[in-house]
Order: sequence, then structure tokens, then C-alpha cells
Amino acid sequence: MSAASVLEVEELVKHFPVGRGLVGSSGTVHAVDGVSFELREGEMLGLVGESGSGKTTLANCVVRLLEPTSGSIRLHGRDITHLSRRELRPLRRSLHMVFQDPFSSLNPRMTVGEIVAEPLRLHRLAGRKTRESRVIETFERVGLGPEHRFRYPHELSGGQRQRVGLARSLILEPSVLVADEPVSALDVSVQASILNLLRDLQRDMGFSCLFITHDLATVEFLCDRIAVMYLGQLVEVASRDAIFRDPQHPYTQALLSAAVVPDPAEQRKRRRVVLEGDPPSPLAPPSGCRFHTRCPLHDLSAPQSDEVEPALREFAPDHLVACHLVAPGTPAPRISGVEASVA
Amino acid sequence: MSAEPLLEVDDLSVRFDTDEGPVQAVDRVSFALAPGEVLGIVGESGCGKSVTCMSLVRLLPETAKVSGSVRFGGADLLALGPRRLRRVRGREISYIFQEPMTSLNPVFTVGDQIGEVVRRHLDLSRRDARRRAVELLQLVRIPAPQRRVDEYPHQLSGGMRQRVMIAMALACDPKVLIADEPTTALDVTIQAGILDLMREVREKLGTAIVLVTHNLGVVADIADRVIVMYAGRKVEEAPAAELFAAPQHPYTVGLLGAIPRPGERRERLEEIPGRVPASARPLEHCVFADRCRYADETTRTQVPDLRPVRPGHLVACFHPEAERAA
Amino acid sequence: MSIVAQDVERPRVADSRRRLRVLGKRFLRRPMAVGGLLVVLAFVVVAIFAPLLAPFGVGHTDFNAVLAKPSSKHLLGTDDLGRDELSRLIWGTRASMQVGVLATLLAMVVAVPIGMLAGYYRGWVDHVIARLTDVLLAFPFLILAVGLAAILGPSLLNVTLALGIGSIPGFIRIARGETLALREADYVPAAVLNGANDATIIFRHILPNMTNTLIVQATVTIPGAILGEAILSFLNLGPQPPAVSWGTMLQEAEPYLTQAQRLAVYPGVAIILAVLAFNVLGDGLRDVLDPRTTR
Repeated sequence: MSAASVLEVEELVKHFPVGRGLVGSSGTVHAVDGVSFELREGEMLGLVGESGSGKTTLANCVVRLLEPTSGSIRLHGRDITHLSRRELRPLRRSLHMVFQDPFSSLNPRMTVGEIVAEPLRLHRLAGRKTRESRVIETFERVGLGPEHRFRYPHELSGGQRQRVGLARSLILEPSVLVADEPVSALDVSVQASILNLLRDLQRDMGFSCLFITHDLATVEFLCDRIAVMYLGQLVEVASRDAIFRDPQHPYTQALLSAAVVPDPAEQRKRRRVVLEGDPPSPLAPPSGCRFHTRCPLHDLSAPQSDEVEPALREFAPDHLVACHLVAPGTPAPRISGVEASVA
Repeated sequence: MSAEPLLEVDDLSVRFDTDEGPVQAVDRVSFALAPGEVLGIVGESGCGKSVTCMSLVRLLPETAKVSGSVRFGGADLLALGPRRLRRVRGREISYIFQEPMTSLNPVFTVGDQIGEVVRRHLDLSRRDARRRAVELLQLVRIPAPQRRVDEYPHQLSGGMRQRVMIAMALACDPKVLIADEPTTALDVTIQAGILDLMREVREKLGTAIVLVTHNLGVVADIADRVIVMYAGRKVEEAPAAELFAAPQHPYTVGLLGAIPRPGERRERLEEIPGRVPASARPLEHCVFADRCRYADETTRTQVPDLRPVRPGHLVACFHPEAERAA
Repeated sequence: MSIVAQDVERPRVADSRRRLRVLGKRFLRRPMAVGGLLVVLAFVVVAIFAPLLAPFGVGHTDFNAVLAKPSSKHLLGTDDLGRDELSRLIWGTRASMQVGVLATLLAMVVAVPIGMLAGYYRGWVDHVIARLTDVLLAFPFLILAVGLAAILGPSLLNVTLALGIGSIPGFIRIARGETLALREADYVPAAVLNGANDATIIFRHILPNMTNTLIVQATVTIPGAILGEAILSFLNLGPQPPAVSWGTMLQEAEPYLTQAQRLAVYPGVAIILAVLAFNVLGDGLRDVLDPRTTR
């Protein structure tokens, strides 16, 4: 439970100015607004959120493709929040990322062998010979034959390309892997093989993984712990069992109820909560609890939730919830129709 | 099912000629749609499900070679002249696309766009058209329709835009609504609302719906009957409940095993080895043969015909699940 | 280590030579482009082998045959100084092609790095470069080139310089736009995570991916420069005798337009043919190299 953490994110904020012109900045996108979590050694942490929740921005901050506005990111205890690109370079060995789009994430003008060898080359880690054998070994790990090295990305299928992406991010055996919706661009039958592969690799190599997705069923299959994000903030962080058997935050409950199950008998029995209204714009997030404009339990939480931002507090050991209706030992009311999805 | 079918597709084939040679996108697909029925067509990308639906109302580019017949209201849609086709399109059969962002014209208000459809087909005055637009927005449960009717597409969220698209599609009370991945671009919480809306449309207006999707959960939610397509062929067709409870084609079985399900803890997901064949010429063997664990000599040398394993349950396989168990 | 290939997916296309073949097929399906390519190749061959092909040297005059009609000795006749027109046309091809190609290369060498810097770093670098480009583009290409040529003085080299400089802003725009688009591809952040520095990203990941676009842009810049050379030469800003180009031929033919139109027709036809050939070739290449093309 209290395994050492490899990555600690504290009060992370990332704002983007928009519409900068002669008249100056006309607004700020609050993409990530005060997010704290830790990634523990050897765990798979699922980060679930819908579009506009800021999950991809958070991922890009964590791997320092973006510089956070404030807050801190510590990798193995070292603060990397504001390091320059040059200072980051040696640290990149222990941190990599798999992208969503297997088409756009591979340079079409390089063979996939060159693509996978690039991290070794750039870190000057191996001579030509050893590089070759490391590449072959990594190819094998991700289920590609050595002969694939000489192919170009467009000659491979979507699933194979995503395997190449995995090989590139794992060849240096990083301790942290961020996977940003790595299967959502793939076909269902291919998704299964990539998810299985990711699980196997993680167990073999022991890296910690931040797995970002909008799909609850995937995190339930893959992840040990789950963090639910809404409009730039985490609303609930707990173990997989706690999230799926005893979801607390009304948003988590709604999300679980809205997921479709590939079983008509089961699916048509479920009563789902349809959230009222549109998701608010991250340009002008609601005051107080960000979910209050769509919360099915708003009657119970108002007026407090309209004004006061709920903190992410411990509801039970290792189960954090940011909701006024939840206190240690006092669970949130069930939204009508939501039963824990597990029989 | 026993009612006279509304739409009857017979031996529909679509071929594209490309640099890589001819591609058989759809290969002799037949099905019928009963009034008020929700028919799900599922399959992975490139299986021909969208092409099938687009060819029903002839939305494909000129380069597509379409054959077979699509009977609707006593006429063959594939043989209809442009004028009569326009009258059917939008008025009796309407179509909603996956991407609500690009299907709406950004320079006209929502009301103008819905109004244009009703004025074109129903010959209403400007004022009546607007009234109808408000009515339709109400029908698709857009809050404050009086105000929304004057808004532009960019002022609406993705879910609202898809509702507007549905409103437009319903403007002339069509008998058939073809929905091509209507919820794929939307978040789950929004998707739930759209599915509820489609169900309501079917119940209130009696519209038959052809729902094209890759998402088996969506099909499980709303479809009465399901067609599974693979590499341009219909490989299985069954009532929804039966398809999920007792899938017959090894591909369907594999597909169902490949998706993680909420509440179910598995060590591994099932994988379907191999990949979809690059669909070229008509095959001389089962399309699924090289990925099928039950493939044998017959499978590799003959094409399986669709045949009933149970009433209403068709499968194109030499070794359907039911017969193997026996 | 227990991972064995679960899906033995086979690649869709057998090898990358197949792609080239497909591109070749696409190209061959465009008769105009093929024609353009053949004409361009013919001009290039003539330019390279001018010394072998031309019956007479650049400055050779034959005062016994002044303004002679075409004959077996002078296939296309001679001009007012008794110079063999065919030879001049061949030597002129060499000069004109040289101007076209070198001016374009010059523009590319200067403009592509600048455009890439602007597109890659954005911010104030981009602002400055974009505004400067806009200013340069505000001058019509020819006015710019005429001005430069006038300052530099008349010679083939200076014409090349002037036309090359005149073509820079267009290339900056193209390179900047491409860079802006390409840096959005996920392989750029992936390279950052690999530990790449800016130079690696620019030269390994962005530049190779814009070659198609640059080739297409070159095929429209070259005829522009050929035409530009003709105009500059016509304005007497081009190479000085005995050097010859299509433009100088045109210019020197002007006084004899009533007596011997053929003197103007030869270079005129050559210019039109070359410009047209490059343009249709460029159009064809654009279509063929565009990944969205399916035919």
C-alpha cells in the first residue's frame, strides 16, 4: 500500500492564455487546476476523464513537454517542474510516453528500427553493434520480429505501429511510463492485444505507469489505482476495487452508470444517470465545486458547493474524494439508479 | 420481424478502383429493416459498415461501383433518378454522421439550417419553418429551444450539436434514420443522453433506425437486431439478445472476448490473431479463415453461405459455435 | 520475457519499393505531367551537353551570312551579326536553365532555414521573420528582381542572384508553414522525450518530411526564374554579349521584328515550352505526392 512513490505531483496548475492580440490576453484556459497525486513504484495508475478534463495536459506536464504554471513535479525525489530542456535531457532516460495516435507518433521517413534506436543514439548509450542487438531484443519484447526493423511506419498496421511506439518508449527501461490513450485509436480486436502486452511488459519490467483514458472498462482491466478527473481537477482517487464497488463522488457515480456494457440483458437493466447541461468551459470554470452545475445531488450539496471548493480528502484509507457530501466514514448518497457495477 | 419490411437490401456490393487495384468494400450484403426497428451494424474499421449505409442513399463518390438492389417504398433506390432520389433523401430516409462539428454549416444559425430542410421538403413558410425548428429542438431535448434556435453551431457543445443533427434528420418525419457512429465522437456521459434520445425517437415517432457503430456496448443498449460485418461481408445476424448470449461466428465470439467489461476481472483479454485481410478480389475461401482457430480444409477452399442456425439467427461459418458444442 | 507475438500481423504492403511503384503508376496516369517531365529532361540534356550539341561556339560570327534564312549550314538561320541561331538557342538553353536552377537553389538554401526557424521557434523570431517576409512579398517579384539587378549590374551571375533573392520570401512562407504543421505531429514530442535537441528535431524529424513540398515549390520557382531572366535580359540587365541566353536573344531580336520574326520566335517558343513544362510537371508532382490523392 505505501510503496515508495516514483513520481509526486503537487498542486499542479497549467493555465493557457488564449486570444492574445493587440488588446492583450482575453482569457485563460484552466486546463489543470491544482492536481496532486503520486505514482507508486511498479503500479498502474489510471487517470480517467472526459474530453476537456485536462488529462492530456496533465500528462504533458508530467513528462515535461509543457512547463507547469505552478505546483511541483518530483521524479525520484528530484524537482523537475521548471528544469530547462537541457537540464532535463539526462533525466529523460527514466521517463517516457506512449502517444494516442500511432500514425502521427512515428516519423514516416525513418525505418522503425531507426525510430526505436533513437533514444539509445541520443543518449550515446551503445555502440552501433550493441544498439542493434538492444533494438532486436526490444522488438522481441513487444512482439515484433527482428525483420520488422527495416520497415517504414506506413507499412505496418495500427497495432504494429503502437508496438513500435511502446518499444521506443521502453528501450531505455524507464522507471515511469505515461500512456496517453494508447489504444483508443485502434480497432477493438487490436486494443485487446496492446492492453495485454502493456500489462505483460509492466509486470516483466516493473515500470510505473500513468495510464490515461476515457474508458472505464479499460482501467478496470489494467489499473491498480484510479484517479478521476473533471474539469482540471481530481475528484476521486482510490484503488480499483473502491472506485468500482464503492464510488463516492457523484461524477464518478455518473460516469460508471453511463458506461455501456456489451450485454443487452445487463445493459438494459441498468438505469443510467444522464448529466444535465453542458460541460462547463475550462475558460470559466464554475465557482465552488466544479461539478455543481451538473451534479445530480446538487439539491443536497447547495449552497455550500456553489461557493466553496471541496478539498480532496481522505474518505477511507487510500480513498480520496473531493465532495462536500463525503466525510471520513460518511459516504456520499447514491445517485438513484446507480448500483455498484459488480454483481 | 414478421411485418412487411420497410427497406430491403439485396446482394449489395460496392467496389472501389484504387492504385492498389480494385477493393471490394462490400460484398453481397443483404438485409431487411422492419418499421420501427433498430438495426445495429457492427464491425471494425474497414469492414464496410459505413460504406454499406452510405450506398443505401447513394452518398458514395462516383468512383464507387455499386450493384444489387435497395428496395424502399416500391422503388429501387439504386436505380432512382436524381430528382426522386432527392425526395427520398432527407425526407423519408435521413442520415446523421459521426462528426457533428463538420456536418453543420458554421455561418448559419441552427434555426436556419433546420428551417432550410423543412422548407425544401415540406414547402413551409419562413415563420412555420422556424416554429417547426423550435419544436424539433424541443423534441431532441435541447434546453431553451427558443433561444438556441438563433445560435450558431460554434456556440453549442458537441452533444448539443449532435442533438441538432438529429433534429434536422427528424425534420420531415422520416421513416428511416441512418445513424453512422452517432456517439463515437462524444463523451460517455453525453453518449448516454443521445442513446436515450434515439430510443425515445423510435418509441414516439416509430422511426426505424439503422445504427452503425464499432461499439458493442452501444448496440447492446439499443439495437433489436444486429448484423456483424467483417471484411465487407455480413458474417452474422441475430436478435441482439441472442447475439450477445450465444454468438455463433468465431469472429463475433472473438470480438466479444476482446473487450474488457465493467465488473469482470480477467487476467487477459482474448485476442484475435492476425489481421483483417486487405479486401481485394472476391475470395475463394472463408474471409475469416486465416485468423480462425477452427479453420480447416473446407474453410480454406470454400466460401460459407449465410445459413440459419436458429430462426432469425444467420451465420456464415462452417463451424458455428452451436454445432461445435454438439 | 514471456511475450511472444500475440498477433502475427502481416504488413499491408510488401516493401517500400512498392510505394515508389505506386507513385510511379500514379505519375504515369497523368499524361500532361509525363509530357512535362520529358520536355524538362530534354532541356536539361541540351543544357548539359551544349558544347557537344551546338554546331558553333558562343561568339562565332559568319559575316557572309547575315540575317540568313534557314539552310543546311545554319539550320535555323543566322542573326544580324551572322551568328548561328541554333547554336545560340542551345547555348541560351544552358544559360536559362542555369539561371532557373541556381536561383531556385539559392532561394532554397537561404529561405528554408529561415522559414524553419520561424516555424519551429515561433514567438518573436517568427513575428520578425513573418513581417519581413510580408514586406518583401508586398513588392512584386519582378520589380524586386529588376531593382536588385539594376543595383548589381548586368551579368548572368547577377541576374541569378537577383532572381534568387526575389524568390526567397515565397520559400520562407512555404518552409514556415510546413514546419508549423509538422511540429504538431506526435513524433516531435516523442523525439523530445528521446532526449533530442532542437537540431536533431529540425534536421532529422522536420526537414525530411517537407522535401515533397519543397520539390513542388521548386518546380514552380524554376520557370518563374526562367521567365524572370528573359524579362531582365530584355531590359538589358541580363548577360552581356557574347554571352547568350533566351532573354538576350529576344532582346537582340527586337529591332528586326519586321524583317526576321524568326529571331524572336525561337527563344519565345523555348521560354513558353520550358515554363509550361515545369508548371505541368509541378502540378502533376503535387497531385502524386499528396498523400490524400487516391488516384
